[in-house]
Amino acid sequence: MSYTLRGRIESRLAALLPVLLGCCVLAIALRQWWPVELCVLMAAVGLVLDVQLWDRLLPYQSAWVILPLGLVELGLVLAIVYGAGLHAPLGPALLLFAVGWLVSFLLAQAGYPLLRLSYAEDGGELGRAGAVAAAGVLLVLVGSAATWYVRLPPVVHLAAGVHQGPIVIHRREVLQGSPGAVVKGGIVVAHDDVHIRNVTVLGGQNGIDVENVDGTVLDGVTVQDAKLDGIHVRSADIVIKNCTIDMLGNKIGQGIDISFNMDMGMSMVEGCTIVGGMQGITTHSSMTDIMDNRVSRTTGQAISVAEMSMGMAMDNEVRDALGVGLNCDDQSMCMFEHNTVIGTRPDIASGDPSRGGVAVQASFYSEASLWRNRLVANPVSTDAITSSLFRWTRDPGW
Amino acid sequence: MADVAVVGSGLAGFTAYQTLRRGLEPGEIVVFGTDADPAAAWRVRAAAIRQHAMRSESDGHCRASTFPGLAFQGMLRRRSVRPLLESVLDRYHPTVDEFLAHVERRRERSGWDESIVPRRVERVQAVDDGFEIDGNLFRHVLLAPGHPGLNVPDELRDDARAVHSYEPHEYQPTVTVVGAGLAAATEWLNALAAGAEVVSVRRREPERRPLNVPREYFSRRGLAAFHRLPARERIERLRAVAAPSYPAGREWDEPLERAGGEGRFRVESSLNGSAQVICATGFLRSWRHDPLLARLVADHDLATAGDWIVLDPDSTVPGLSDATRTLALAGAPGQWAFPAADTLAGARYAGHRFLRRIQACRTR
Repeated sequence: MSYTLRGRIESRLAALLPVLLGCCVLAIALRQWWPVELCVLMAAVGLVLDVQLWDRLLPYQSAWVILPLGLVELGLVLAIVYGAGLHAPLGPALLLFAVGWLVSFLLAQAGYPLLRLSYAEDGGELGRAGAVAAAGVLLVLVGSAATWYVRLPPVVHLAAGVHQGPIVIHRREVLQGSPGAVVKGGIVVAHDDVHIRNVTVLGGQNGIDVENVDGTVLDGVTVQDAKLDGIHVRSADIVIKNCTIDMLGNKIGQGIDISFNMDMGMSMVEGCTIVGGMQGITTHSSMTDIMDNRVSRTTGQAISVAEMSMGMAMDNEVRDALGVGLNCDDQSMCMFEHNTVIGTRPDIASGDPSRGGVAVQASFYSEASLWRNRLVANPVSTDAITSSLFRWTRDPGW
Repeated sequence: MADVAVVGSGLAGFTAYQTLRRGLEPGEIVVFGTDADPAAAWRVRAAAIRQHAMRSESDGHCRASTFPGLAFQGMLRRRSVRPLLESVLDRYHPTVDEFLAHVERRRERSGWDESIVPRRVERVQAVDDGFEIDGNLFRHVLLAPGHPGLNVPDELRDDARAVHSYEPHEYQPTVTVVGAGLAAATEWLNALAAGAEVVSVRRREPERRPLNVPREYFSRRGLAAFHRLPARERIERLRAVAAPSYPAGREWDEPLERAGGEGRFRVESSLNGSAQVICATGFLRSWRHDPLLARLVADHDLATAGDWIVLDPDSTVPGLSDATRTLALAGAPGQWAFPAADTLAGARYAGHRFLRRIQACRTR
């Protein structure tokens, strides 16, 4: 097939239309935007390549060529998805791309020639149907954009200064702190899709309490002097980024505690700095990725993946923890990769021999996969106890 | 009374007819021709050169749409995905038998025989709102007269040793093949397989390409630029794309290399004393050689350029086609609009545009 540029674009847009509609249905069903974002990205990458590369490089395109072209487009889409942090799950994203690719192939080889007799001679141009398809795609995109805009949560700007808490958030909203904005007494998130940015929280039972809600994002929050946990998450999926939590002097609280959200998909803790507390970051019955955090001076474990959790801790830096640095506990499955654990101290006062300054520990029927961790100046580097085991592999085999 | 006529019952007329059937009933189309079997002439030529496989690919068929192609039908018939996979790789070439069976099926299913009027048309005359053909009036006429005859070089016309490749023949112990296209290449191998010593006489080295015309000329991508060419350049381009060629591949090269090594195959620039001279020189190429077209040009003072009648990009004859009537050319004489007009894809191209004109005609 020798496509004209217009033919390429019309053929692509017409093939995209059913996929885009499918993405919209999927987005409604999942109540998430990534299917639409992925479809738009697929369209954008495809159209840019059509105009900039494929039309110039391929005066004639044999049917098999769609395979390498599809792989190139898939690679670019995935690079952008993960580079831009769109949070599309890999499996469904690949499936969606494959469906789009297959629809496109079948339409080009069979559908379009049947619908338009002169399809091949016209270089893939679809005549009026092409214009209608383009309008359809545009309509769906504009509709999606409008829906996205209308559904944007209202932004509440928190002015600089101290605001008396606790603040309880009962609606979808973005709580945006101005520099110097402080909430005294804690924040409770009691609604789905709440984003909190650049707010400092002082005191409170828990600094930020998130329970039984979806879609919470905490970005750039600072928590100090919480009585219990710095950030306390129960039965809620959450993304926590770039937080700072000071738990020094708190002997029973955790910096971040994410628990009992195994059935709510992946959560994420990324780029946080946590000082003090019993545990710096802990998960229970949860699937949480713990990436690129700095945890120090904890009195229990610095990072603990516990109670039938499945999770990855990667690129974290743990310093000066008392007893245990990284911990995989209670029938959990953990992947510890590229972490640095320095100067873990033995907890002599506890009298517990398993807390002898262990950099990485697996305990009580747990399984921890280790890959390229840097363990420096720890009395015990690795320790698997109570029917637990380590595997030195990059592939945890989940 | 039908107001659509196809003049010519060969493969070009037949392929165009398949497209017309998408919009018209058999009773609405008259096909003038000398043989009800659309493959009659082609079958003889293919048999003469012992052709087993088509040069065309999966879409080298007579249907109105490229899908389902012959590979898809081959997959269903053979219960194997191999034809489809070969087609995806542009390596599927249906056998001559498969193609002829396809033609027969389409003939039965399309009502072709209902539309056939066995008559050789001598003249097409433009009249008000249509065309008169042997006393009958038609609003839309597609001319698909086929090739005007076999091309035999003047110096061989009276040579008793000479036979055209498309005429039935056997092979003498020494054979000279004149020409360098697909028929010539097929004859080299045929004669070598028959044990002959073969001399290839040709004026230029053949091009090696999968189809007889570069692929981009089968779609608007190449055609748009072609249609923009001034007449003189378009003539040169048509002569260039019509240059002899045959596909690349070991199945062609290895027997020739082997025979060359044995001293049984060589290339020369002029005729020698072979016992047999096979003219693989194709067909006569000019409207002047076709009495029907020559009369049409003379009667209506049609524009011509070299060997071609000037056509609009949709294969219609300018000046004789308007909102109420259509005269179009399909097959070999339609190259001014579609360089590969003498292929099945070319006939389909003309058929599609002819049907579009009919459907857009305000009197229908």
